[in-house]
Amino acid sequence: MPYVEDKTTRGGFSSPSEADVSRMIRAEVDSWTPRRGPDWPDILIRIASSGPSPWVIYTTASAALAVILIAAFLVGSALDLGGLGLQPAQVHLNH
Amino acid sequence: MTESRELDPATQFKQLYDQEYLSVYRSIRAVVMESAAAEDLTQETFVRAYRARHRYTPTAPPGAWLRRIGINLAISHLRRQKLARFLPARLYMAPDRRDYDRAEARDVVGKAMAVLSPKLRAAVVLHYYDGLTREEIASVLGVPAGTVASRIAKAVAIMRKTIGNDQDLDTTRSRSEGALRGR
Repeated sequence: MPYVEDKTTRGGFSSPSEADVSRMIRAEVDSWTPRRGPDWPDILIRIASSGPSPWVIYTTASAALAVILIAAFLVGSALDLGGLGLQPAQVHLNH
Repeated sequence: MTESRELDPATQFKQLYDQEYLSVYRSIRAVVMESAAAEDLTQETFVRAYRARHRYTPTAPPGAWLRRIGINLAISHLRRQKLARFLPARLYMAPDRRDYDRAEARDVVGKAMAVLSPKLRAAVVLHYYDGLTREEIASVLGVPAGTVASRIAKAVAIMRKTIGNDQDLDTTRSRSEGALRGR
C-alpha cells in the first residue's frame, strides 16, 4: 500500500491579483484563433440566400394589417354588417 | 478600435470585415465559449451588419457597432440553446453547452472563464482584452455603466477565486505525486 501524503504545507488559496487576471485574460483571448478565418465569399452567399430583413417584414406586415382593419371597418359600416349594422331591438309593449 | 473609425460601413464594408473579423470573433467566442459556433455567429454578425449598413450612425466606432450586433446575436444563440434543453429530444437536438465548456476550456484561465456567465465574460473581455472603458462597454452591451462596473468586479472576484483554487489543487496534486515517486 503506497503512502500518499494528503497534507498541504500552504494554507488557504493563492488568488492572483487583478493585474494577473487581466494579463491571463489577454493571453487566453490571444490564443483564440478561428480555424477558417475571414471568408468573404461565404458572406456574399449568405446575403444572397437570405430573404428580406426582419425590419422590412415587420413593417410590411404591420402596414398590411392596418389596411385590412381599415377596409373591414369601411365595408362593415357601409353594408351595415356585424356590430356596425342596425341591431334588432325587442320591444315589449304592455297592452 | 479607434483605427476603424475612418472606415464607413456603407461604402467600405469589405475592408471593415477584414479589419474587424478577428476582434468580433473573439468577443463572440468569449460569450459562447465554443469556436465553431463563434465562427458561424461571426459570419452571421457581418451579414446582419451588411444589411443594416445604411442605418449605421457614426456616434460610436464601427468596431463597437459590430461587437454590439455580435454579442447580442451570441446571447440570443445561448438563449435558444437553453430553451432547446426543455424541448423533447425528438423535436430539437441541441448540443450540451457544458460539454463544450469542458472540451474547450482545458487550461486554468479557460476553465475560470467558463465558470462565468456569458454576460460577465463579455464585460471582462471587452474591458481587459479590447481595452474599452466602462462607458464604451455600456454602449456595446446596452446596459448602464454602473452595471458594467459591477459585472467586471464580480467576474474578477470569481476568476481570482477559481484560479486560486485550481492552482492550489495543482500544487497539492504535484506534491502528492512527488511523494509517491520519492518512495
